[in-house]
Amino acid sequence: MKERLLKNNTLIIFLLLLLVSSFTSESFLTITNVTNLLRQVAPIGLISIGMFLVILTGGIDLSVGSIIACVGVAFALLSYEVYFSAGLLLSLLLGVVIGAVSGYLVAYRGVAAFIATLALMTIVRGLGFLLSKGAPVTVGPHSSAILQLGTGSVLGIPLSAILLALVFVIVFIVLKYHVYGRQIIAIGSNEEAVRLSGISVERVKFSVYVISGFLTALAGLMMVGRTGVGTPNIGVGLELDAIAAVVIGGASLFGGKGTVFNTLLGVLILGMIGNIMNLLDITSYMQQLIKGVIIILAVIFQKAQQ
Amino acid sequence: MNFTTPKHCFEMLVLKEISKSFGGVKALKAVNLEVRAGEIHALLGENGAGKSTLMKVISGAHKADSGQIVIDGEVIEHNDPHLAKVHGIGIIYQEFSLIPELTVSENIWFGSGKKTGWLNRKKMDSDASALIHSLGFAIDVKRRVAQLSIAQQQIVEIAKALSQDVKLLILDEPSAVLGTKEVKKLFNLLYTLRDQGVSIIYISHHLDELLELTDRITVLKDGKTVATLETAAADKDKLVNLMVGRELTQLYPEKPDAFPDDEKIGIEELRSGTSRQPMAFDIRKGEILGLGGLVGAGRTEVLESLFGVTHRPPAILRWQERSVSYRSPREAIRGGWGMVPEDRKKHGGILSLSIRDNISLASLGQVANQWGFINHRKEEQVVRELVDRLRIKVGDIHSPLSTLSGGNQQKVVLAKWLNRNLNVLLIDEPTRGVDVGARSEIYHIIQQLANQGMYIVMVSSDMEELLGMSDRIMVMKNGELQGTLDRAEFNEEKILRMAIGAN
Repeated sequence: MKERLLKNNTLIIFLLLLLVSSFTSESFLTITNVTNLLRQVAPIGLISIGMFLVILTGGIDLSVGSIIACVGVAFALLSYEVYFSAGLLLSLLLGVVIGAVSGYLVAYRGVAAFIATLALMTIVRGLGFLLSKGAPVTVGPHSSAILQLGTGSVLGIPLSAILLALVFVIVFIVLKYHVYGRQIIAIGSNEEAVRLSGISVERVKFSVYVISGFLTALAGLMMVGRTGVGTPNIGVGLELDAIAAVVIGGASLFGGKGTVFNTLLGVLILGMIGNIMNLLDITSYMQQLIKGVIIILAVIFQKAQQ
Repeated sequence: MNFTTPKHCFEMLVLKEISKSFGGVKALKAVNLEVRAGEIHALLGENGAGKSTLMKVISGAHKADSGQIVIDGEVIEHNDPHLAKVHGIGIIYQEFSLIPELTVSENIWFGSGKKTGWLNRKKMDSDASALIHSLGFAIDVKRRVAQLSIAQQQIVEIAKALSQDVKLLILDEPSAVLGTKEVKKLFNLLYTLRDQGVSIIYISHHLDELLELTDRITVLKDGKTVATLETAAADKDKLVNLMVGRELTQLYPEKPDAFPDDEKIGIEELRSGTSRQPMAFDIRKGEILGLGGLVGAGRTEVLESLFGVTHRPPAILRWQERSVSYRSPREAIRGGWGMVPEDRKKHGGILSLSIRDNISLASLGQVANQWGFINHRKEEQVVRELVDRLRIKVGDIHSPLSTLSGGNQQKVVLAKWLNRNLNVLLIDEPTRGVDVGARSEIYHIIQQLANQGMYIVMVSSDMEELLGMSDRIMVMKNGELQGTLDRAEFNEEKILRMAIGAN
């Protein structure tokens, strides 16, 4: 165990960054900042875990950024029509349906994942604009409880972070102890061998896109919960952040390799980079530049140690 | 150059005592070969006699363990593909090396000489066109290779080889994809090249062709040179006799005398590959049915058809008064079938996954509870039992499959099926790339399964293995059944004749 932790480069990068951050800014390790950081990373964390499962099978999901926006808009609109709980369920269902369309195209129609989800990315983004007529939609007063999801805490811990932790634990357990998890990893390693072992490769591939759609919808609700507004143009480029987090976590884009623990670390690493640069008052243009460079360095470090 | 030496006595290529092993398997054992300048020299031998390996040694793709290569009087110490090219060796493999999406002329000039700078398309095209014309063919050099017929691709492949200054051209089964008319054209082309002083090594199983085309024939068997003879002094019987003849070794388990059960599975309407004629045959309980034939005869397709791998209409299986067809491996496995595929690394095992994960992959349901959660303790117990039973040499069942030797990897792929209640096991090339020790163990495991009443169908390109393991042998050629032999009728020569269509 100890050896494995020492060999875990993502963990090393994470700890290094943590160390550097706490020395560079006094306000980094304050309760306010850490809580704030956790709130920020929770939605992208959920998306990244979904993305990780898709990437494990050798696929990719580019539609997540659009799902965030579309689900947010849909929830805001629904808040004027149905009860809060029904709105929640329908919004999550929307994410599931979008994921199912991607999954169907990839698994059963043999469309390349990149192409299928690229098309879905455009379609769903367009759908969000159509539904909202291009303007932000404020959540109705009956559903203001959604703000709890974005800003609420339990015993001082952000509710969104608790949800992320819960999802992480479930996925961790499934990958380690469940037949389904074993199948996901095996498919990413050698699809044909898995098919010849009598496992329905299509069904498993389909399902990871559904899960990705669901987790992204949940993340979309968290984003609405921060501001109480469903915005059709948020989440642009979010898919790239999620992919970056997965890759920094050491997963292979060809599938079959990586752990959900490291994906979570990847999310925290990216979150910390943004956070510390904010604390240091670095302009957002500069931030983008530095972030890209750090991603490259992290991935090279991963490779070098293998 | 000695002017008094007649041209045909001058040796273009000399191989002296070439040996090559892969793992524990000796593919070439001190092979000698002499190819004269301006002759067409046939290389003949069964599957696995070492023809391909020898060819790769000449082309520099493989490095010989020992021995000497002399090209054009020059001793080559460390052969590699580039050096072979420089020495004027051109090679045409069975699988073409053309790039389908490039044009004919782009393919011909691809990888030749020019490394940087601009391309003169006009000149490329006209040169390529002239080259193909000089071979006696007309192909539009601006067409993409993907649009050409297989025969035309073959011509392009040859033109590509000749675009370099070639002194020795090696062709591996070039006629396999050609029709009769095209074969004639190819022969004329080869005659022309020979008369220009090019040496040609021609590898084929078609005895008629070899007798017609070549000047001399070298027969390989079990990685050794058996004989080199003038084609004029050879005939079919002589060649077949040179190719066959060997003692069965102690590798093989004892065969049962009779089968207690008369149960069988009837296979009907099995269509494999190119043949329009469907196949029908029986598999008997407790029997090992061997499928013999040349590589590419459609044997693997038979197994894939039975196992539901291909998208062709599935074969009809009649068993215990029921008739079923499997449209996917999933259905076949539910019906109690298992398959050990030909390519262990691509289809059989998952190299990056652990030994444990590989063994339990086809039977995860049996080590998981009703909610699908895997009981790791139970799983490891099952895996360890199988590892002990098959005597798989592993350090840690959690290490990746890739850490094992070929023989042990193959045992893992077998073990995968033994945790299920299997009725039928299909095995494609059970011991490819497996060393002798592990081979014998694998043979005994397979025989044991048959003795327990399993139906076994085994494809093998290794004649000795086919004879040693099978209770019956079905021989195929070009996707069609040539005949079936019972153990009492087993005869290497007969099988070989059926496989190459010389009966």
